[in-house]
Amino acid sequence: MLLTPEIITIYILNLIFFIFASVAFYYSVKIVFLYDKNAMSTLQYKLQKQSYLVATIIKFIFYTKILVFLFFIFTLDDIATILPGAMCGAGVVNATAYGTYLLILKIINLYIFAYWLVLNTQDINSEEQVYLKYKFQVYMAVYFLLVGEIILESLMFFSIDTKSVVDCCGTIFSTTDGTYMAKLLSVDPMILLATFYTIYSLMICSYILKNKYIFSLLNLLFVIISLVSLIAYFGTYIYELPTHHCPFCLLQRDYNYIGYLLYIFLFIGTFHGIVLGLMDFSVEEERKKYRISLFFTTLYLLFVSYFPIAYYIKNGVCL
Amino acid sequence: MIKLDHVSKIYANNTVALDDVSLNFAEGELIILKGVSGSGKSTILSLIAGLLKPTQGDVVVDAKHISKLPDHFCSQYRRDNIGFIFQKYNLIPLLSVKENIALPLVPLNLDEDVLHVKLEIVMKMFRIEHKKDMKVKNLSGGEQQRTAIARANVNDPKIILADEPTANLDEKLSLEFIQILKALKSSHKTIIVATHDPLFFELEFVDRVVEINNGKLVCS
Repeated sequence: MLLTPEIITIYILNLIFFIFASVAFYYSVKIVFLYDKNAMSTLQYKLQKQSYLVATIIKFIFYTKILVFLFFIFTLDDIATILPGAMCGAGVVNATAYGTYLLILKIINLYIFAYWLVLNTQDINSEEQVYLKYKFQVYMAVYFLLVGEIILESLMFFSIDTKSVVDCCGTIFSTTDGTYMAKLLSVDPMILLATFYTIYSLMICSYILKNKYIFSLLNLLFVIISLVSLIAYFGTYIYELPTHHCPFCLLQRDYNYIGYLLYIFLFIGTFHGIVLGLMDFSVEEERKKYRISLFFTTLYLLFVSYFPIAYYIKNGVCL
Repeated sequence: MIKLDHVSKIYANNTVALDDVSLNFAEGELIILKGVSGSGKSTILSLIAGLLKPTQGDVVVDAKHISKLPDHFCSQYRRDNIGFIFQKYNLIPLLSVKENIALPLVPLNLDEDVLHVKLEIVMKMFRIEHKKDMKVKNLSGGEQQRTAIARANVNDPKIILADEPTANLDEKLSLEFIQILKALKSSHKTIIVATHDPLFFELEFVDRVVEINNGKLVCS
């Protein structure tokens, strides 16, 4: 069991999140099963008041969780210095059986929490509160994901053994063994790049054609292809090392914390794109979401494309 | 136009302010809500203005269920439909007459010219334009009230609610207020006045006097 100030902070935050989320869950169940917007009884007014309170609690949890995700990444990087063999957060994630599942769940939750926040904003901005019941139904499902994340996170930090030697990112993201990761990293860069830029171009086309469902789907694909191409191709140009494929080292000071910027651009851009296909927005709001999405995905694309181009201009060769 | 349907209001300290009250107010009516202090008159006004939500029952204004409106829609509804004259006027003492009257227009972000025209009209209508740059803390009671009435009318609301409007005025100023009320009535606004001042009960231009006692309707 490893206890650093950062991990203790995460434990305390998780306890607070768990208590508040459970209270919100209890009231959400009541609202989902008992609230009737057309009824004018004492219970209905009470439930309506409670719905504001519960929505505020959930909003607080989710906004904080999104910010705490960055702190989690920072913590992984920080404790890598304590674990023998680990060079960055990748070693810490791989140090226990829970790390990879936790990271995947955290990324999924990040999008779901943000989706709930948008749903809540849409609801409180409509006079009829059209999403009132639905947003609490969604929360009831999200609660279990949140609790799952808290349990996995606790298990991961609890089972880290500082005496065992762990793999470094060079081993985890190696192209030489027969793992799925190795196969993924060995894909022809031209295929990866063609897919990456084609999906982006199709996003532009679907924006021009104003087809929000295709735009949403393409954004989902863009997240996946962006992460794969970052690990397999663009990352090597950031490190200027053809064998270095780690998605965590980007977050370190040696690389000017560029990873934080890239991941934030990717998250904001793709989230606003994906959410367009999941609910109805006013024309103005829809236009805003398209623009935010394209602005940030374009920034991401320009940033990652800069590194191979700059490398080629500087050295006259590719890696 | 305004309908209170089996409305009850119980405050947090278990005080029953209204007990199963049903009332209808037609468009353009002038109604006096009569009753002693604590009878529930102000609660009715606050419910119609969307300042309070009932414990039970429905408040409907122009087919809109006010009691179920989310808070910021209540503010919007109030801004668009309600002019509220409070007992103690609720003016901001360090602002001038003009600035106080302009307050309800701030969220509308109007052009300077339009704002100016609107202010001039109401200040002239309620005879306060000669004091427009004076801070309200330096005004007399009657002038403060005229400022409050001008502020309540600057958005040209359909409904005017007045809560004990003459409680702080002498008889002369109260009669002056009654004349203003008559003028407002002729502009086809729905006016509800909560008062226990007998001056209001026998006015010939009042459409109805509704009596409230201990949160219950006595007569309408």
